Amino acid sequence: MAGRANISVALTFLILGLLLALLFVLDILIGSTRLEASDVFRSLFGQGTAHGEIIVMQFRLPKAVTAVIAGAAMSVSGLLMQTLFRNPLAGPDVLGVSSGAGLGVALMILTLSPVFEFSSLNPLHGWSLIIAACAGAGAVMVIIMAVSARVRDIMTVLIIGILLASAISSVVSLLQYFSNESMLKTYVIWTMGNLGNLSPVQVRVLLAASSTGLIMAFMQVKPLNALLMGETFSRSVGVNMKRTRIALFASASILAGSVTAFCGPLAFIGIAVPHITRLLFSTSDHKVLVPGVILTGATVVLLSDIVSALPGGGHIIPVNTVTSLIGIPVVLWIIAGKNMMGRKI
Amino acid sequence: MKRGDKILVTEDLSVGYKNHGRAAPVMEHIGLSARQGELVALIGRNGSGKSTLLRTLVSLQAPLSGRVIIKGRPADSIDSAELPVLVSFTSTEPFPGHNIRVREVVALGRFPHTNWLGSLTDEDLKAVTEALEVTGLLSLADRNIDNISDGERQRTLIARSLAQDTDILVMDEPTAFLDLPSRFSIVSLLRKLTREKGKCVIYSTHDLDTAVNEADSIWLMDGIAIGQGAPEDLVLNKSLERAFESPLLTFSQSDGTFSFLRPGAGEIALEASGICKKLTAKALKRCGYRINPDAGLKIIAESTGTGNLWRITGGATEEVFRTIYDLVNHLPDEPPE
Repeated sequence: MAGRANISVALTFLILGLLLALLFVLDILIGSTRLEASDVFRSLFGQGTAHGEIIVMQFRLPKAVTAVIAGAAMSVSGLLMQTLFRNPLAGPDVLGVSSGAGLGVALMILTLSPVFEFSSLNPLHGWSLIIAACAGAGAVMVIIMAVSARVRDIMTVLIIGILLASAISSVVSLLQYFSNESMLKTYVIWTMGNLGNLSPVQVRVLLAASSTGLIMAFMQVKPLNALLMGETFSRSVGVNMKRTRIALFASASILAGSVTAFCGPLAFIGIAVPHITRLLFSTSDHKVLVPGVILTGATVVLLSDIVSALPGGGHIIPVNTVTSLIGIPVVLWIIAGKNMMGRKI
Repeated sequence: MKRGDKILVTEDLSVGYKNHGRAAPVMEHIGLSARQGELVALIGRNGSGKSTLLRTLVSLQAPLSGRVIIKGRPADSIDSAELPVLVSFTSTEPFPGHNIRVREVVALGRFPHTNWLGSLTDEDLKAVTEALEVTGLLSLADRNIDNISDGERQRTLIARSLAQDTDILVMDEPTAFLDLPSRFSIVSLLRKLTREKGKCVIYSTHDLDTAVNEADSIWLMDGIAIGQGAPEDLVLNKSLERAFESPLLTFSQSDGTFSFLRPGAGEIALEASGICKKLTAKALKRCGYRINPDAGLKIIAESTGTGNLWRITGGATEEVFRTIYDLVNHLPDEPPE
């Protein structure tokens, strides 16, 4: 039995990997500007037309890479939160963590950007934006954790997350009210979620931050599995709960924060993807789930990005809208099914 | 350590909680011991501090004073990574995990033995299979934990504890919420672990009957102090009776069991034999009658080819009944003097 389960897990990884590769190529092929496929491939190896090379190397490739990183990071962040809070509906957006990251970004864009000479090519700006977003995300995580230690009821914790999110959006509205037109425009465009606005330098910054978060998450695979059995069991087998919690907090905040900083709020990816992965691999083992969620998340966001470019002729649907359309049915299915992870909701 | 050696000892232990730095002891001066290969039942009323004591034994909670000695070493001097190799703990919390297979839950018991990824070696897999086998779960190993019965889920937790491969297994109410056959099968499983695997199993329970019949030793919390002894010792010296004293209960020393006390309806004579006599007497007792061969009112039970018959004599009229139910419904509340 165990052997057969291993084979089906390996097969699922293989199929997901192939699908991801296929969508990655498709994402580079499709864009708002028409380019011949042959030109795209030649450009990738530095032998295309000048026009093609600029589009592919400066825009499409960074965008596809961003989609992969953002999908992986956001989804793992959601997985960590669901296990940590033992709540199938936990996720960066539902718990207000994305809003927290957004507040960090809003503070940067709407108040500090004139001071720091806002420039999208300045790598320092990239790091400062990420640090602000991660700090915002982390602050909300700490508040939610403090609340959930006192309130056992899942529903209450979720409602508090939603309250926090609205409180934060009020603060952001206030900031918007006092900011000038160009800052406001930058901010509003950011809120729509965009995978294609990153410079190659920013992509590298995002990659570095996300990799750090993903490696931290992977280091916690064993305690994450113990947490499935509850905190008492975890402690009884020697898990250092304080250290584990700090590591998971930091990891989830870095992942959600860095993606939100550069790509805007990618709605519903963090909450929906872990469930899709659990269904695909039919396991709760984080040794499989963490890499599985990375692949699934990257695939789903690549798909969303392709869909967002489908209208063609220079029109692009905000990617946030597409991820919501994919994610919300999954969330509805969890609530209706009530039994993902078996929690009565 | 060999069978019969004291594997766990408490020395003047006080357990309880700290409220804003002030100690709130639940139980003080606890001096208990458990031996290798022994089944120990911890019994006591609700709120007497059973869970607090068990959590302190496994270092999930620090003692207020005194200490716990495990295999001759003070628990607070044992490294937090080594302790889970010596003692395992199963709590009363409702089953936390979901959407996870029985085998995966049991494999989590290998936690203290596996590497940083939790990968299972051949030795780990062998321990998991053995734990599944001993607990009779092999056929359910690939079932989802949400699709098995409460008793099977409790067995899964015991298997997990067994897979942890510790000499001491501490379990908080492993038989709670289970029906009678499941309760019995769990306790006989625990007993089997002590006999066949030489484990020391310490479990708390409200199931006095099973504990008195199956445990080698009982730790009895009566709210003020905690006593220890063979079940029979505690019956003989009446400490069991004292611990659960209640105006509603009567204790039978010969059985070591409690039963409800009924207001007396009077005395009655019973003439019957075998199991029919036993059961009729039981029903009469339930209705508050004391059996006295010299009583005026008399029941004569006889078996016929078609079943049993009960006849009441000595009353106003003589009546015949075909079931005990009919019989007791026709008994007068106040028997004639």
